[in-house]
Amino acid sequence: MTMEVTLNVNGHEHKFAVEPTETVVSILRDRLELTGTHKDCSMGVCGACTVLLNGQPVSSCLLLAPQADNQEIRTVESLEEDGKLSPLQEAFLTFGAVQCGYCTPGFLMTATALLEENPDPDRKEILEALKGNLCRCTGYKKIIEAVESAIGR
Amino acid sequence: MSCQYTQATSVDEAVSALIEAKGEAHLIAGGVALVILMNEKLVEPSWLIDISRIEALRGIDRLPDGTVRIGAAVTHREVAGSDIIAEAFAMVPEMAAEIACGRIMNKGTIGGNICLADPQGDPPIAMLALDATMRAAGPNGTRDIPVREFFVDLYTTALGEDELLQEILIPPMKENSVTAFGKYAARKAMDYTSTISVAVRLIRNKSSGNFDEISLGFGGVGQTPVYSEEIEEILTGTAPSDALFEDVRSKLFNVLEPIDDHLYSANYKRHVSAVTLRRTIMKAYDGTWDGEGVLIR
Repeated sequence: MTMEVTLNVNGHEHKFAVEPTETVVSILRDRLELTGTHKDCSMGVCGACTVLLNGQPVSSCLLLAPQADNQEIRTVESLEEDGKLSPLQEAFLTFGAVQCGYCTPGFLMTATALLEENPDPDRKEILEALKGNLCRCTGYKKIIEAVESAIGR
Repeated sequence: MSCQYTQATSVDEAVSALIEAKGEAHLIAGGVALVILMNEKLVEPSWLIDISRIEALRGIDRLPDGTVRIGAAVTHREVAGSDIIAEAFAMVPEMAAEIACGRIMNKGTIGGNICLADPQGDPPIAMLALDATMRAAGPNGTRDIPVREFFVDLYTTALGEDELLQEILIPPMKENSVTAFGKYAARKAMDYTSTISVAVRLIRNKSSGNFDEISLGFGGVGQTPVYSEEIEEILTGTAPSDALFEDVRSKLFNVLEPIDDHLYSANYKRHVSAVTLRRTIMKAYDGTWDGEGVLIR
């Protein structure tokens, strides 16, 4: 069956006719062309597709469109405002916390949620928050340093 | 394949849909297990019944008799952060805080995890050790199922095809009871490969140091989340010692029926389960120690 869902993505409402089994990551990438949210494992393991659902990080590959009906979704595209990167994005650049970039949107959204919930996390809290995101390039050290440096900015 | 979707707003509505679907529907709450199976094409649902927005399945309450009620659609995040649960059963929020990672805890529910009946699930064995009651809702109202009768086979529960788990009821523990949860996993996060876990509830006799009562749950070592009255009987009325744990270890080799997998052999899992059991028991036991001396090296 086809059903209508309303997704609030980065502050804009969108109505879609969807199959109920369609995932939010597919809608973001294929219908809204918000390709910053990356799809990889499709098993909730890697963290590349992390978006914020009502402010909380979730795996958008495991989120069906009707589960997100009338809910607020934020993607990595929301972090830049008026052509200006967020302090966290700037920190990722400064610290070289990006290599291939595949995992980066997931790390950015997970860390954004962390800093919104806990503006002054210690290293242990950062590690705990990021423990479910996989990076196969930089080895995490630069990512953690970038998050630390963005505290309070 | 086309799929029907019911956004249930009440338990009755969900049960009506289950009846109409005649066993063909899948319930979805957080979706963090079901949608993996859908993405892998292992499950192709023809009917999804979304129970995540049913108010009656939410909330954590302490009832007048001390029982803690956890709605089936309460997330792992909510369990991990619950003061009500932490005050009553310390191991439960600790257990929930170590499930997968934050973004899975935000969506995954305790009821969904229990109803998946994954042998490696952590909430099921915590409920086994705590002797919880699973309250199911069905066509004839509610039905209480003792947790030790709930896990009947691999990924199979005692729920009928027209029933859903409504809430989990954890009875108050007797005075001086303590709990602990132990897990052995290859990674700290996203431990979706082989894990071995143990949940413990015990009462330590203040004068003798014996276990007056002990109740256990074992994860990752059978077709279902596992309990063993035989092991509990061996431990009850004794004090921890090397000889006791060696006895328990050898008995566990007969009781537990893990499978060989790509990481660990079945016998290795039995060994790890025995070691994890001993450590988890002592974690709980030492917390109750108010005298001198240490019984275990």
